Amino acid sequence: MTWLSTSITGFGFVLLAHACYSAHEHSALHSTSTASLSSLTSHGPSVSAVAALPIDISIETIVAILTICLGLVLGTPELRPIQWRVWAGQIEREGEKGFMNGDGEVDKDYVGNPFKVLESRPGFVDIRKQRKEFAEWVREGGSVEG
Amino acid sequence: MLTERELQISPIVLESVQHNTKTLTTLHNLTASLFGVGAGILGLESYPGFIFYLVFSLLTSALVYAFRVRPAIIKNSISGGKAGAGIERYFMGSMELWTGGLFEGLSGFVLTWTLFYGLVRA
Repeated sequence: MTWLSTSITGFGFVLLAHACYSAHEHSALHSTSTASLSSLTSHGPSVSAVAALPIDISIETIVAILTICLGLVLGTPELRPIQWRVWAGQIEREGEKGFMNGDGEVDKDYVGNPFKVLESRPGFVDIRKQRKEFAEWVREGGSVEG
Repeated sequence: MLTERELQISPIVLESVQHNTKTLTTLHNLTASLFGVGAGILGLESYPGFIFYLVFSLLTSALVYAFRVRPAIIKNSISGGKAGAGIERYFMGSMELWTGGLFEGLSGFVLTWTLFYGLVRA
């Protein structure tokens, strides 16, 4: 998703730069032509200092802005649910996968299970499971070094 | 606004609120400068420039709604959950999405608007 938004934004900036340059050239050309025209005719001050922008430059500007906007919106990180129950439910269901950014990395401020403090209390220790794991470890002839 | 009783019943995750607000503010600041560039190139003056800004800011919010808020709501309704439907899933109220970034980006908009107006029509 990231390369898509970056390429859309880049394309929009190219369009915008072209439109900006076109508008600047248009105004420069128009001002010189009106200056020469008014010096030729010498009928006092020119009627309009700056003519209206050609329609193609206007359209290009607006299309460029819309394109960059789309690219920027696509590049924003995913929003997060603000209600505690929705948010905790999403963490329980999706785990780290629900909090990845576009590059496939987990966000830096991902805090993990909000109830980890509760679940790691001594009363919640699964002692039978731990005993089973210990028995398997002994059966396999595990040693402290191994 | 939420009352204290409602906050006790359904608590709010402050980190998520900050994350969403930060995302929206950053986007609005960036796009406001961009709209200033556009308004300067188009050579808008006085009220049309501000109307331009207003229209495109609302359009940005609509894009956020279409690409960030709406897919999660649809996914949520398909999976059967009815909790937190609508914009209230991500923001305190719908006004926060639609008009939240309007005034933060206004100064950046005027800055780039005047700059590019001066650059293009030198």
